[in-house]
Amino acid sequence: MSSNRTPDSKAPLGADLVIPALALAFAAYFFVSISDLAWEAKANGVLIGSVLVVLIAVQVARVGLQVWVGAANLGFERLLLPHHALAKRIGMVALTALFIFSMDWLGLTLALFIATAAALYLMGVRKRTHLFWTPLGASVFAYVMFIAILDSEFPRGPVEILLARFF
Amino acid sequence: MTWDFVLGQFATQFGLWWVIVPGILLGIVVGALPGFSAQNTLIMLLPLTLAVPAPTALAFMIALYCATHLAGGIPAILVKIPGTGGAAATTIDGYPMTQKGQAQQALVLCFTASVFGGLISTVVTIGLLPWLSKVGLYLRSVEMVVVMLFGLTLIAVIAAKDLLKGLIAGFFGLLIGVIGTDHIYNTPRATFGFLELYDGVPLVPALIGLFAISEALVMIESKLIVSKEGQGRAAHAHWADTVDGLRMAAARWWHIVWTSFVGLVIGIVPGAGASIAAFVAYQQSRMWSRYPELYGTGIPEGVIAPESANNGVTSGTLVPMMALGVPGGSTAAVMMVVLQYHGMVMGPRLFTSNPEIAYGVFISMAVAYIFMLFTILPLARYMSRIVLIETSYLVPVIVLMTIVAAFAGRQYQFDMGLALAFGVIGYIAHKTDYHVTAILIGVILGPLFEEYLVRSLRISEGDLSILFSSPTANTLWALLVASLALPFARAWFKRRAESGT
Repeated sequence: MSSNRTPDSKAPLGADLVIPALALAFAAYFFVSISDLAWEAKANGVLIGSVLVVLIAVQVARVGLQVWVGAANLGFERLLLPHHALAKRIGMVALTALFIFSMDWLGLTLALFIATAAALYLMGVRKRTHLFWTPLGASVFAYVMFIAILDSEFPRGPVEILLARFF
Repeated sequence: MTWDFVLGQFATQFGLWWVIVPGILLGIVVGALPGFSAQNTLIMLLPLTLAVPAPTALAFMIALYCATHLAGGIPAILVKIPGTGGAAATTIDGYPMTQKGQAQQALVLCFTASVFGGLISTVVTIGLLPWLSKVGLYLRSVEMVVVMLFGLTLIAVIAAKDLLKGLIAGFFGLLIGVIGTDHIYNTPRATFGFLELYDGVPLVPALIGLFAISEALVMIESKLIVSKEGQGRAAHAHWADTVDGLRMAAARWWHIVWTSFVGLVIGIVPGAGASIAAFVAYQQSRMWSRYPELYGTGIPEGVIAPESANNGVTSGTLVPMMALGVPGGSTAAVMMVVLQYHGMVMGPRLFTSNPEIAYGVFISMAVAYIFMLFTILPLARYMSRIVLIETSYLVPVIVLMTIVAAFAGRQYQFDMGLALAFGVIGYIAHKTDYHVTAILIGVILGPLFEEYLVRSLRISEGDLSILFSSPTANTLWALLVASLALPFARAWFKRRAESGT
């Protein structure tokens, strides 16, 4: 192990193993799911999955070697930094998930209006006019495009039901 | 076919400007919005196109179809969100140009490469239609396996900086592409129990997640998309930048020509599409370039190659429809429905019974591209201003509106969640240098590669030697090996020359 390295100078390579870990978990699930199928159904997947597992093994060995010689640690800083963006990022993903689920009750237009306003606030926008008009523009566009013109099968909420009486 | 006939057809098509221009404008909107496609729009407008005479309907449909191929590159360049799968390769160099403050030049390159790529391939198609229609007969599943490999080798090209990570990303994408029922027995594979995945991973949510959402999550870190150095250039965008973009395109005219041929040939093969053409053209462009190491840093050739090829596809796709009665893609299938409704019988006899339709389609395409150049080129200056909007406004709008667009393709709420999941995977890949484009290439080309490979192996009853059984396939193999060996050969010669001096 290199003795002249400070902990701060080590490259944080833990994050480099997240994609391989996801890929490995998926490959394992894939192999289980195709175990009983005919060769035509699994030939391609087995070939791709096997190569993927070998590549992941090499990557794990590469990272392991770096950690072993003291050039790296298993930190996740690359995914988490900068800290000022982390809360916004997690908030944005959570808000989007909430938007998808809330659409069943609120309908596309209202859910999109609330989600856009909340997302703008989360991103640091504080001007009230912007917090109102930007979400309104987005939800009006979505309503006109997807409900009025395309008649898509988006969940209908109070706004869509109300507007359906007029149009 | 005489000159009188051709000129008469051109005059007739120019007279249809009143349907061509709205078709172009609608196509630009449809192409620029992820989740919308030309075929869905044409299906919605079917009552309209069935009600008007066949040449008018055809002019409108062709204009819309070609414009969608062009417009997919606009968000790909400005915000790294490809409007269509065919524009995914455009992000590789288009977005870095935007970050350098050259959004306007990149857009002009995209427009000119698309228009001239489309025009060149259309003119070639008009001249060589009887011969081109036979190309599809030579490119069967065996040959298509090699064509797919041309596209897949782009994974290694993209991964040039860190080959291992690039290959992991590419093979991860390929394995994701295998999700869904197999092509022979229709048995589900790795669907996590979701019926929505039986048809495979839908391209639109994957595209939106891997590019739009992941990029938006990265954007949060900075105030603007453009780098500090590029902000001044973007803020003072001038007509001179449009002229600069035109100059860049003119200087690379040969690049536009040969990459449009790549698109034309791939477009002729039924089932192959703009995505494959764009990836193959980008890969070939980089392979044969004198400065391959600059690809991915924002160079004009990286925008020209995929855009020229994905518009070269437009005329190629219609060749099998007109000549053989086999639609080369879903949009061509919709057009075929309209033409058949008007009593046209597709196939070789169309060229004698209705030459004004058979050749008129391609002349209409050429006219649409000419109109497109004058309609869209002046807009580049104003479109490029989008990069000056602060990310605090862009991020919420991009994430939420693209999530909504993810629904549009199949009308499944499931696809919105899938796009978000791909967004998170894309973000992790992005931050750890695992190349989202490599994952996407796998997702797009994986199912097609499997389909052609399994079909070939079924024919040969599992004998792999079928892949080397035809002169065309063997020629393609030789070209593939040559294009892969070229960078190594070039590096070897360079080292030898340097050691000699």
